Amino acid sequence: MAVAMTMAAMKMAVLRNSMNSQKAGLVVAGAVLGLILAGGTIAVAFVGDPNVGSVTGWHTGDMLAAAYAVWMLGWIFGPVFIGGGDETLRPEYFTLVGLRPRRLAFGLLTASFIGVAPVVSLVALAALVVFGVRLGSAASVLIALPAMLLSLVVFVLLSRVATAVMGLALRSRVGAIAAGLSNGVILAALGQGWVFFVAFQQVGGIPPTASAILRYLPSGWGLLAVEAAAEGAWPRSAAALGAMCLLIVLLLGAWAALLTRRTSAARPSVRGRRPMTAASAQGAVVAKEMRTWTRDLVRNHQLTFALAYAVFFTSCMLFMGMNGLLPYTGAVFILMAGAMSANLYGTDGTVLWLTLMTPGASEVRGRQWAWLLTVGPVGLALTVAGAAITGGPWPLPLALTAALLGGGAGIVPLISVYALVPGIDPHRRGGNPLRSSEDDGSLTGLAYAVIGLGGLTGVPAGLVASSYGWPGVAVGIATGALCVWGLGALAESRLRSHGPELLQTMRTGKRAQSASARWKKFDDLPKRDQIIAIVGWSFGAIPLFPQGIVAGVMKANGTREKSWFLALHVPDPWAWPVVVFMVLLGITLYGGALWVSYRPRPREEALPAAAA
Amino acid sequence: MTAALEIAGLSKAFGEKVAVDHVDLTVPQGSFYGLVGQNGAGKTTTLAMAVGLLRPDSGGARIFGADVWSDPDTAKTLVGVLPDGLAMPERLTGREVLTYLGLLRGLSKDVVAERAGELLEVLELDSAENTLVIEYSTGMRKKIGLATALLHAPRLLVLDEPFEAVDPVSATTIKGILRGFVAGGGSVVLSSHVMALVEQLCDHVAVIDQGRVAAAGTLDEVRGAGPLEDAFVELVGASGAGAKGLSWLSR
Repeated sequence: MAVAMTMAAMKMAVLRNSMNSQKAGLVVAGAVLGLILAGGTIAVAFVGDPNVGSVTGWHTGDMLAAAYAVWMLGWIFGPVFIGGGDETLRPEYFTLVGLRPRRLAFGLLTASFIGVAPVVSLVALAALVVFGVRLGSAASVLIALPAMLLSLVVFVLLSRVATAVMGLALRSRVGAIAAGLSNGVILAALGQGWVFFVAFQQVGGIPPTASAILRYLPSGWGLLAVEAAAEGAWPRSAAALGAMCLLIVLLLGAWAALLTRRTSAARPSVRGRRPMTAASAQGAVVAKEMRTWTRDLVRNHQLTFALAYAVFFTSCMLFMGMNGLLPYTGAVFILMAGAMSANLYGTDGTVLWLTLMTPGASEVRGRQWAWLLTVGPVGLALTVAGAAITGGPWPLPLALTAALLGGGAGIVPLISVYALVPGIDPHRRGGNPLRSSEDDGSLTGLAYAVIGLGGLTGVPAGLVASSYGWPGVAVGIATGALCVWGLGALAESRLRSHGPELLQTMRTGKRAQSASARWKKFDDLPKRDQIIAIVGWSFGAIPLFPQGIVAGVMKANGTREKSWFLALHVPDPWAWPVVVFMVLLGITLYGGALWVSYRPRPREEALPAAAA
Repeated sequence: MTAALEIAGLSKAFGEKVAVDHVDLTVPQGSFYGLVGQNGAGKTTTLAMAVGLLRPDSGGARIFGADVWSDPDTAKTLVGVLPDGLAMPERLTGREVLTYLGLLRGLSKDVVAERAGELLEVLELDSAENTLVIEYSTGMRKKIGLATALLHAPRLLVLDEPFEAVDPVSATTIKGILRGFVAGGGSVVLSSHVMALVEQLCDHVAVIDQGRVAAAGTLDEVRGAGPLEDAFVELVGASGAGAKGLSWLSR
């Protein structure tokens, strides 16, 4: 226990010391969002029919079971998506202390409960108590308390074991690809989860099979115990609680074993290598990048993730009997691949010094070609296959593919030099290869920015193609080429002018003093402005693109599929006002975020800078 | 004769802390120049600014007369750099790193292949032909770093802690290469905190202390009659070594 307490205290100290205003802002934003979700879960416990039914309907228990399944998936896959999970205390720190694996695991587990996410989850799990009260038996309230705590332990442990398995999987190519596939599918499933709700809506509630499955998941066992207690089925209730205890013991054992594997060294690879045949400077950069794409397991993971996400995202509409999204699989893949590779320069780390020492060579162009050669063929194949399966339309998907490919190849290097997130140098990364940076929040932000800006580059071609057909493809190729050329040139010149600053940022992990007098650093913003900036940058895309522009295009085309576009669901006279409102809302969110970040300084502040 | 490297008034502060404070140094052509100082004295920061990897707050540097900041293309073809602890193209093998960099430097394919093979052989990296740089040991990383610094046949080498974590056999090889380079008219600047090594190799020395040049000149000028270590300890004003013992360590 002493070890556990020491580790908990250590984590508190690390968190306290690493808390700057930016981190604090993110923590507050995360806590608020988490508490809203937890409040939603508690609200679920108040609605619906509390009695377990054998027929389909909106039973409280079913809905809670579904909610907890989502919480559990969040615990398991959240860390994978944001890059490796909570690594405040790394097992490597303790290798020389000589702790036995179980004690180490127990200590790290105890430290895992220090933080916002466990507290928020505990609040969400309090819905079990509410549910117990509604069931009207004192026994179920009594059972709800241990069930709540055990569920939390199960969540945290599942999260740790999943991350550990992922870390080990990423040591081999097969593992990295498998992890990318499963993560992509699951994230797409979470994103497209509304499909299931629509399906449930059609049958008027969660079907009995689904409700049974939800209770078989570990996330449903606490609920099962509470329900069984209300019925007086004590053996069943005890069995559910006992099963959770057993699962905790097994998971702890598994984690301890995984930690031992992790802290032992990986085997070096000694395979044959194909010789480099490049003969020019640019060819050399392409060759280097292509080798990195195929050899770096993290990049293997990113690409398979994007692939699995795109394929599942568009094909899960098939559950609802719609195949209209299939031709756009390639476009989704390209956007997602761009988002995953958004921190192109940051992931490579301080190797930038070599670029700085060879000023004549054009680094950015080589990287752009390599990106196009890696993402392009797959994206194009997905588009062609999707359109062939559905029998068209052809112009719009092809136009988008061309435009987005060019847009991605332009935006990825540009954003990675303008909004570089300092990474951990590849040779200094710990046992968890997914963790390429200490700054998960900024990485996620960068990914969203690429999705948003990348999406914009597809708009002209999309509009032309949806109105005039094939000329849109020409527009897509033209805007794509323009993006590759123009944005690449911008990135190149930024790299030339700010190279040493970028290197310093990567070396120290801190952003250099903002050179521009107008752009304010996020850290320097007041709290209120930070929240505006976070909300604006994070959510601006949703009303602007899908709910605004895309919905407008679909409305103009007279598309019958309503899917999740609000404007297509409201009665006709309201459709266009909704589209306009959504576009304005998106612009306002982005505008607000931009306004608080980029604001003309008052004169007296600007003067000394001008004089200097 | 133009100096191989001329540093004038270099300063750099990180926040409140002044890391380098008006450093002036002149490295004559054909000299083997040692930069010594305690950990955190500002050696690495000075060298990074001298070759254009870190922008100074004030001051500048010229390599054979070419300004590092206003004429980087000329300056950077004349210098080979080995920084301490920075990343390499990690997913390439040693030979691929050299091929990549040689092509990037504008060398022809045949020249690159020839030089890469020779460098790998001399530095004994050819046995790890299929090993990616990320799997190299610390000493091997130093050696491949040195190979990248030498590849384009520069006239000046700027090496930050080139012998750290390098085994004695390889260290002897590297010393031989560097001595040959100087004998052939090249100039070397290296930083180290191993006095014996600097005394053995260098003909010029500068002592850096708290971001300033405490002494600079030929080896004999700086060390006087005694060994360099004594002169160094006196210059940086450290209290005598071993004065404060750890009483609990002895029984």
